Amino acid sequence: MHMSLRVRESSLTNPRGNVESVPGGLSSDQRFDAEKAFSSVLVSTVREAVGNALGRNVLEVLTSNGLLDDANNSKEFDRKLELLFGNGAGVLERMVVKDLNRRLGIRYDSEASFDYEKSLETARQVCFLEGRLN
Amino acid sequence: MSGSEILSTLLGSEVRGDLLVLFHRNPGLIDTVDGVARRIGRTTVAVISEVRELLVVGVLMQKRIGASEVVFLDRAKDRELLEAVANHLKTVRISGEN
Repeated sequence: MHMSLRVRESSLTNPRGNVESVPGGLSSDQRFDAEKAFSSVLVSTVREAVGNALGRNVLEVLTSNGLLDDANNSKEFDRKLELLFGNGAGVLERMVVKDLNRRLGIRYDSEASFDYEKSLETARQVCFLEGRLN
Repeated sequence: MSGSEILSTLLGSEVRGDLLVLFHRNPGLIDTVDGVARRIGRTTVAVISEVRELLVVGVLMQKRIGASEVVFLDRAKDRELLEAVANHLKTVRISGEN
């Protein structure tokens, strides 16, 4: 709990922070593994969120459109999602973050203001920290 | 109703998204609006107008069981609507400049 809070604070002060902003740092191998693990969790979360909300057919269309190729690149993912879903993109992003936070044990508040990029960065930091602690 | 309009209705709010997920994960679910609200961790007040939208579009249906009004997923209509959404998304180009 305390650790998560520290990570969240670190992410807020450095919203564009990357792996280097994780306290204590990681070796390049650990960094690679953590990045890979986060990417895998994120893509499976996006698949689950879209599939559960809009069904398998829609998910297949999105996969063939290459949406999931950029799930780890929040700006690009955001851009594609908006092109496809218009105003609904924000709802899908919230659903992805809610699911991701649940998986990583991060509190999600649907009443709070929402920033997809910052939320992903927070999740990434927590994922990296957990990887370091394991 | 076009695929794009269906999509806008289905993803009109976070609560509506939560309702879709709930019913897609539990396609046999039959419950009151109060019960549905509890299942997604919301209040009845927050959910009632969102359920109404899904009733209008036809994803959900309503019927009376004893003294209670219950809602449930219309699987055939849901399939039909999501098919229309999928066909609409096939026509949208997302490749191009970053």
